[in-house]
Amino acid sequence: MAGPGPKPVTLGLVTVMFVAAALVAVGAFVATWRSDLTAALAGIPIMFGGAGAAFAGVARFSAAGGPELIGQEVAVLLAVAALGLVALGVGIAGREGAR
Amino acid sequence: MDSLHAIGFYVSATLSLGGALFVAFLPARETRGLAMAVTGIGLAGIALSLSAGFAAAVILVCYLAIAALVAGPQYRSFDPLTHVAWRQAGALGAAGLFALLAYAAFRGDFVSATFYGGAIGGSALGRTLFAHDALSTVAVAAVTLVALVGATAAWRARGRSR
Repeated sequence: MAGPGPKPVTLGLVTVMFVAAALVAVGAFVATWRSDLTAALAGIPIMFGGAGAAFAGVARFSAAGGPELIGQEVAVLLAVAALGLVALGVGIAGREGAR
Repeated sequence: MDSLHAIGFYVSATLSLGGALFVAFLPARETRGLAMAVTGIGLAGIALSLSAGFAAAVILVCYLAIAALVAGPQYRSFDPLTHVAWRQAGALGAAGLFALLAYAAFRGDFVSATFYGGAIGGSALGRTLFAHDALSTVAVAAVTLVALVGATAAWRARGRSR
């Protein structure tokens, strides 16, 4: 059974979307600005984090109808996928690169 | 209480964005890993302020692990000598991407709905992950498992070739 839920907040979905957009853009900036490919790999989890924040914001402010926590679910799956991708990238770069 | 909540969100957003910018500009891998950890703390704070406590815990663990990978001793530099003009074009593209996304967020007409979940939402999120969307959970778990196995194989192959 659903509970009464938290108190209303002054934050809005637009604010969350602005922060998420900034995170995605900074992640893209990291991925393009770093000349070292292994360092550029760090932009991927930042972009995924921005996308996850946007999904969590939608789940909090704008999920009308259907299961409400799909946005949070996507945020969790994106974080796990980012970890796997960075591990694979660092491993492959370790085979090719120099210390 | 609501102002404290908003302050928590803005502080978390500042931490995540500041950490991400430091990831872009810091030269040493150890400090970049620290900046990535700060980014993860900020992202977890954002999720926590959006009533996604369980997601915040998972995000924190995953990003601390990513920070350890970025700062760890297994890190190797791999520079294909990209021309600086391409990097500058990419930076301009990132700025354009931010302008586009911010415009979409500002002009978007979002549905407003009342949130009935709790602050943590662990059980409800577990039901969504393992009952409603079990296939997507299994798919992401398989992708992550394959990636970790691939990373382990790559590290072991490097160890044998020394």
